[in-house]
Amino acid sequence: MSVVDAPMTPLDEVRKSPSRLRSLLSFLRKHPQAAIGFVILMLFVFVAIFGPYFAPYGEREQVGPIFGTPSSAHPLGLDDGGIDILSLLIYGARVTLIVGFAGAVVAMLVGGSIGIISGYFGGKIDNALMRTTDYFLVLPDLVLMIVVASIWGRSLRNIIIIIGLIYWTYMARLIRAQVKVVRERAYVKRAQALGATHTRIIFRHVIPQIAPLLLAQTVLMVALAIFLETAISFLGLGDPSVASWGKMIETAFSRSAISYGAWWAIAPPGIAVALVIMAFNMVGTAAEDSLNPRLRVSHLARRHFRLRPLPDKEPPK
Amino acid sequence: MRAGWSYVGRRALFALITVFIAISLNFVLFRLAPGDRTSALRCQGCTQEFKQQLRADFGLDKSKPEQYVIYLNQTLHGDFGRSFVTEQPVTSELWQPIKNTLPMILLGTIISIMLGVTTGVIAAWRRNTLADKGTVWGGILFYSLPTQWLALMLILYLAGPLNLPTSDIADPYLAYNNAGAWAEFVDRLKHMILPAATIGLVLFGEYTLIVRSSMLEALGEDYILTARAKGLSDWEIITKHALRNSMLPIVTLVFLSLGFIFGGTILIESVFNYPGIGLQIYESVGNRDYPMLQGAFLLLTVVIILMNFLADLLYFKLDPRVTE
Amino acid sequence: MTPVLVIEGLHVWFELPNHKELHAVKGISFELEPGERLGLVGESGCGKTTAILAMMGLLPPTASAAGKIILDGDDILAGGDTTMRPHRWKDISMVFQGAMNAFDPVKTIGSQIQEPIVKAKLAEGKAARLRTAELLELVGISGSRQDRYPHEFSGGMRQRAAIAMALACDPKVLLADEPTTALDVMVQAQILKLLVQLTDDLGLAMIMVTHDLPLVSQVCTRAAVMYAGEIAEIGTTHDLYHKPLHPYTRMLFSATPDLLAEQTVRSIPGAPPRLDQPLVGCPFQPRCDSALTVCASEAAPLRTGPDGHRAYCHLKDTA
Repeated sequence: MSVVDAPMTPLDEVRKSPSRLRSLLSFLRKHPQAAIGFVILMLFVFVAIFGPYFAPYGEREQVGPIFGTPSSAHPLGLDDGGIDILSLLIYGARVTLIVGFAGAVVAMLVGGSIGIISGYFGGKIDNALMRTTDYFLVLPDLVLMIVVASIWGRSLRNIIIIIGLIYWTYMARLIRAQVKVVRERAYVKRAQALGATHTRIIFRHVIPQIAPLLLAQTVLMVALAIFLETAISFLGLGDPSVASWGKMIETAFSRSAISYGAWWAIAPPGIAVALVIMAFNMVGTAAEDSLNPRLRVSHLARRHFRLRPLPDKEPPK
Repeated sequence: MRAGWSYVGRRALFALITVFIAISLNFVLFRLAPGDRTSALRCQGCTQEFKQQLRADFGLDKSKPEQYVIYLNQTLHGDFGRSFVTEQPVTSELWQPIKNTLPMILLGTIISIMLGVTTGVIAAWRRNTLADKGTVWGGILFYSLPTQWLALMLILYLAGPLNLPTSDIADPYLAYNNAGAWAEFVDRLKHMILPAATIGLVLFGEYTLIVRSSMLEALGEDYILTARAKGLSDWEIITKHALRNSMLPIVTLVFLSLGFIFGGTILIESVFNYPGIGLQIYESVGNRDYPMLQGAFLLLTVVIILMNFLADLLYFKLDPRVTE
Repeated sequence: MTPVLVIEGLHVWFELPNHKELHAVKGISFELEPGERLGLVGESGCGKTTAILAMMGLLPPTASAAGKIILDGDDILAGGDTTMRPHRWKDISMVFQGAMNAFDPVKTIGSQIQEPIVKAKLAEGKAARLRTAELLELVGISGSRQDRYPHEFSGGMRQRAAIAMALACDPKVLLADEPTTALDVMVQAQILKLLVQLTDDLGLAMIMVTHDLPLVSQVCTRAAVMYAGEIAEIGTTHDLYHKPLHPYTRMLFSATPDLLAEQTVRSIPGAPPRLDQPLVGCPFQPRCDSALTVCASEAAPLRTGPDGHRAYCHLKDTA
């Protein structure tokens, strides 16, 4: 019943386009929301990589009074130890982003492989794996994380592993559903008929097909991972040896920044986290939206069709 | 009458198995930790006498499988051991906090569902208008705010102007002065509103985005075109057909986000010093009070599993296609 | 007889995302008399579905329309959605393509048939249920099944229910968009028989959109062949089959496999033209097997025959 044929999905675009870079650019051009998010992300990645070279002060350097107010020398003020907050923010970017990316990649690898195996082979393996994800899905993630972190100990590596282990289930379910669709496509059937091995089919046919979805989900997952990092740090279970945005919020809270009225100790790290998560969400949801052609048609619109005068040059009929 | 009792039965069985697995996981998680649970590191400040009692309680001198059986037996009888800090049974220690938390969560969830569904529906209906774009950006914004940070911001910028308390659950002087039930109720509500608003706003972001996209998905279905052709008004189409269909993913989402909500209460209650289950967990982490942590974790997991079972029942009611 | 529905110079355009425009229906005109069954035939993308969606006033917001849709002497297109809405389902109703999805999966079949009845204030409560039962009986479904859900019906039954739903408000014109696709042959035949019987019994005029030619000659008295948004030829099915004036009609008919005739099936080479750019000459000319030089440059003139037979073609004799 569709009136106009559905436009190409990005999946087709990726397949058609000669270079991945060009398809990325055209995706960003079509989704201004994603473009803004992408620019913000690149900015933060730049800060995370090169930040220590241009941070005005050290991350442990006391440069003024406790909770010093923002000034020209310290645009974001000082924290409870008299440390420059802007510098802390710059140093913290690295840890926060590393945890976010690494956690998401662990989730992608674990969840992606399980999703692919489950969706591709189906049957008993599928059943067992999906029941397992069912159980994981009901666990309260932050609570589980606290329990594990307080038992395993406080380190960056543990946090990354925990994030990955908690979020693999979401990934696995989504990927499985998509793989099930791909598996039924003609060329996969043909490859099977021609006697290609499972490994070959998975790597040559299945993974390239689900790659865009995998990527979009990983991007969304980074946001979740950063979210969890701030939470776990806030509860005092973060890595004590490094500065992160989550830890900045925690120290500001536990050292009574609120009673001091030191908003500058609380607001900046939260805004930084929100900006990064927002940027990831903007890119991720745009990618997800454009991968879901079902959202393109709506049969209910505020506006109705318009009327216009007959064309001047009336065709012969 | 639909032949759906086998469905209900199967979901109930699933819930039971999940509870069993959660109980077992709880055992494994805590026994995996290095060292004896009575060792100096893990039971700081415990008296020698209390440690002896613990060993006996948990059967720590027995083998792991034997310990598991003892643990299962105790858990099924609602015995989660004793708190390291107060040396009282965990079950009774958890009861009051959970009673404090539930109304707060409920209020927050209601706020978020009402806000999220209204804005999400309007956004989908007026797709690509200013209202839609505002909703999407607002949704993404609130979805991106760290819970604990939003709570802190509410304290900094809302508590003062609105004259709302930022700590504890009730004003002790009210009860002392016999201020009356109504005054106490209002006072409770005042203490509850900021924590609940934090939950509400954080969830609102997620809900509005999901409601919008599931509404859009429903509005793209052929039966919506049929409904339009039948001359139904936009309002009738939305309430009678689109919303009813997009309720399915929304119900799943609301129940799935319970885990997130309980996680969020830890952050929120520690910011607002609200004596609920979240604050209890927060303090247990600080005190390394493992039995409390274990009990709270198990309790929350079981609550979530039960709620998921409820979601399955609701699903059964909402979607006539669910029979197997 | 006075026609119940007259379409005069109906145009539909769609806005495309790249600021282009697609001229999907290019000024089609025809008349429909009470009790008449008209087939609207053509390849996919020729504008046939768009044309009947325009008659229902169900074009998407990206569309704009021009021309006249005259129902019982009134131009109902004149005021856009506002003037079309009162007639929707009450005077012109529709059986959608793929009835699988035309029903809301979470509501009973009966409640969905009742909706327009209650909406049009024809009946309420018990009476509406009774009417729903009657409608279902009319299409050969037991009235007691109105409390069933769509997924409990087979494809053929769902299509019957969709027809019952279309008849809910006693319309004058029934539009059927590929009413039998995705159904198996036996069920197809039953549904077609039902449609013929209903239009005969109720004096209902019907426009049936399809790409299936044998179906048209079984069911319809007249047919219009659409190509690239235009009506290439219109006439009685007999004339179109045996005396086509347009080569497209002839080629379309011979592209259909015929079990009884010992002919080889010929398909029409090439593809229809793109409608987002202006066309010069006869749109069918690049694919036509008997094109003249003039066809490429000049729009085809009208040719007429007996019984309202019309075609737009440069050829002088039967195609």
